[in-house]
Amino acid sequence: MKGTLIGLAGIVLLAILFSPHAADGSRIFLQPGNLTDILRQVALIGIMALAMTYVILTAGIDLSVGSIMALATAVTAMRLTASPPGMGHVQAMVLAIGAALLVSAAAGALNGAVIAFVDVQPFIVTLASMIGIRGLAKWLTHNTNIDIGFGQDVAAHFASLFWQKAVVVGAFAVLAVIFGVALARTVFGRYVRAIGDNEKAARYTGLPIRSVKIWVYGLSGLLSGFAGVLYTAENHQGNPNAGVAYELDAIAAAVIGGARLAGGKGTIAGTIAGTLMIGVVTNMLRLNNVDSNVEMMVKAVIIVLAVAAQRQRGAE
Amino acid sequence: MPALIEAAGITKRYGGAWALRNAAFSLERGEVHALVGENGAGKSTLAKIAAGVVAPDSGTLRIDGREVRFSNPLEAQRAGIAIIFQELDLFPQLTVGENIVVRNLRFGERWLARPRAIERFSAPFLEAVGLPVSPRRLLSRLSIGQMQLVAIARALSLEARTIVMDEPTSSLFGDAAERLFGLIGELKRRGVAVVYVSHKMDEIFRVAGRITVLRDGETVGTRAMAETDMNEIVRMMVGRSGVGVETSAAGSVVAAPPMFEVIGLANRKLKSVSFTVARGEVLGIAGLVGAGRSELGRALVGLDRLEGGTLRLNGKPVHPRSSRQAMRLGIALLPEDRKLEGLMMQMPILENGSLAVVGRFAPAGFVQGSRELAAMRPWFDALALRASEWQAPVSALSGGNQQKVLLARFLAADPQVLYLDDPSRGVDIGAKSDIHRIIREFAARGRAVILVSSELTELLACSDRILVLREGRVAASFDRGAATEEKIMAAATIAGAAA
Repeated sequence: MKGTLIGLAGIVLLAILFSPHAADGSRIFLQPGNLTDILRQVALIGIMALAMTYVILTAGIDLSVGSIMALATAVTAMRLTASPPGMGHVQAMVLAIGAALLVSAAAGALNGAVIAFVDVQPFIVTLASMIGIRGLAKWLTHNTNIDIGFGQDVAAHFASLFWQKAVVVGAFAVLAVIFGVALARTVFGRYVRAIGDNEKAARYTGLPIRSVKIWVYGLSGLLSGFAGVLYTAENHQGNPNAGVAYELDAIAAAVIGGARLAGGKGTIAGTIAGTLMIGVVTNMLRLNNVDSNVEMMVKAVIIVLAVAAQRQRGAE
Repeated sequence: MPALIEAAGITKRYGGAWALRNAAFSLERGEVHALVGENGAGKSTLAKIAAGVVAPDSGTLRIDGREVRFSNPLEAQRAGIAIIFQELDLFPQLTVGENIVVRNLRFGERWLARPRAIERFSAPFLEAVGLPVSPRRLLSRLSIGQMQLVAIARALSLEARTIVMDEPTSSLFGDAAERLFGLIGELKRRGVAVVYVSHKMDEIFRVAGRITVLRDGETVGTRAMAETDMNEIVRMMVGRSGVGVETSAAGSVVAAPPMFEVIGLANRKLKSVSFTVARGEVLGIAGLVGAGRSELGRALVGLDRLEGGTLRLNGKPVHPRSSRQAMRLGIALLPEDRKLEGLMMQMPILENGSLAVVGRFAPAGFVQGSRELAAMRPWFDALALRASEWQAPVSALSGGNQQKVLLARFLAADPQVLYLDDPSRGVDIGAKSDIHRIIREFAARGRAVILVSSELTELLACSDRILVLREGRVAASFDRGAATEEKIMAAATIAGAAA
């Protein structure tokens, strides 16, 4: 955790140092518009990474978050564009978002139930649902994007409301606080950490292992669905191909932030730091017009370095 | 002529604990030599040192008079020593034949192991141990007893001059065990020496020619089987320390109606176990490793499946099907292995201690730190854990203090019945007496305590009654006063020696 913060500070410093200058001589990186852009860019991955931290803490993994997000974009856009003309805008939006969140949370909870009751490895279960739910999203939309227009209808209103920086970044911030406090201060958070630390011991102690797992994967589905709602607004479309490989970015953010895949170790603050680190690096490279392929290679190096640094700290 | 194997002055430490202290052992050609001792006496460690699996800290090992230093089991194999481990070191996903030829210097083909060659090589040895399965069969399809026979066949195939057998009959029953004894006789005729590690007296007196007794990591003595008897061996295993046991710590025998009744408990490891524990009573459970002590605890809290039997708590029948249900009913199990089954090593001491009861200090789900601290303080104080340490990770504590944290967790849950599976294992003397005191105090609050221990002195000091388990059955039961270390040890090791 401490190491992640030092790493984040170092990368911010590098970004400032290498930032190109604007016409008035100021550094572009430090302009408020750029900084908030970074936050908006990382918000979706960041939101998913919050719940992913819980999942990883229980010694699990959720590969299905990208697919669940795509399903949520499809459901949101379909509900919005299909809402009857007479219905009020607020009511229609609540229905659409509610439907997307419900479906997403149910998909996540189903992951959790299979993991808890059938006792199959989380990797396998969520790999299967990653494939299956992607298929469902494509089947529902007949493989096409559902575009949201720019007119005066519900869908357009929805997009212009949830597209705003303040809404997206604000939602990330609020969720981060909720997940951070819940992990540190509630009984549920403590059970999450205890189960991942030593599941056998949790069983001997009589902790509710199964329901905790169902909740954790359900939350992961819920937040992925919420990210899908935001994605729909930002891109003005429901897209069954959205969120491909997002699960890997979310896992990377948590791991850079100090989460241990074997469970029991990880914090929300660390995950946020990890998310920001990825965002700042991406921003720095793009401001300097570095090839996006090089960007991926740099990210790869950062992931390995971050985890290696934590290993050494742990070995002390 | 020098002895085949001569070990002298062997010491081995694991962390702070001595496994062996100045142990000595001598093996002659073609003899069957039993190695016996209580749990933790060091017999398995000594056997593993002889077979190159464990390296001693000091001491000398001579083979045919020449000093050797094995750095791995393959070197011991070259010197003609093979070992059959108690915890079978086989590969479940390989075939029976592959298990026999892997890392086997006698098997000709090193790089290209053709199935037919494997079959031809392994078949005679499988026949010798009387295992009628194809060498092509996957090992994981066999029963545990059959796997043990595969391990024995493998040892035979190494054509070793010495075979070390660590508890070879722990999973063998009836005919299979008989066949093993026949096989050992056959090996003896062929001049192969056998080191036979076991705690089953009747077997030892059947197969062994000589016997060496270990106690607390030291060699007590070696006897020829013909010149000794079971009573002498048991005395050697227990030692003189058994005479002056302090028994004053235990409370008076309670003549109260039973609070907890166990009737005819049966499953794979337990054979109709029945007993009762009264309110305020500490029932001691003695028995060797594998006698069913841990399995009994697991069965009581619903972690292992039951094939029969009834539990009654305060006269009402209860059927816990998970440890969570058992906890709710008021039956708790303190597990034997604190690292694997007990503690969350990355969580702080306080959170580890309060884990079972944390929901009680959390209105609306939020843990109230001050109430948590206040509730745990008496238990931590009683166990002499200092408050300054409570936020430190539990991994920073010594083994004894870790055990106290785990004990605090289950005491704080305040169960009606508390099953303590070897609570002072690997704990220093000071912590041990703290633990003993708190066990007595807990029982005195009107709880039923079942105390499992490998240390007879501990059982004699803490228990109101002692039950001896042997191979999944209740072999004997002693009231306090009537129990002695010799009687308990005899009941635990000798078939039909019930008191």
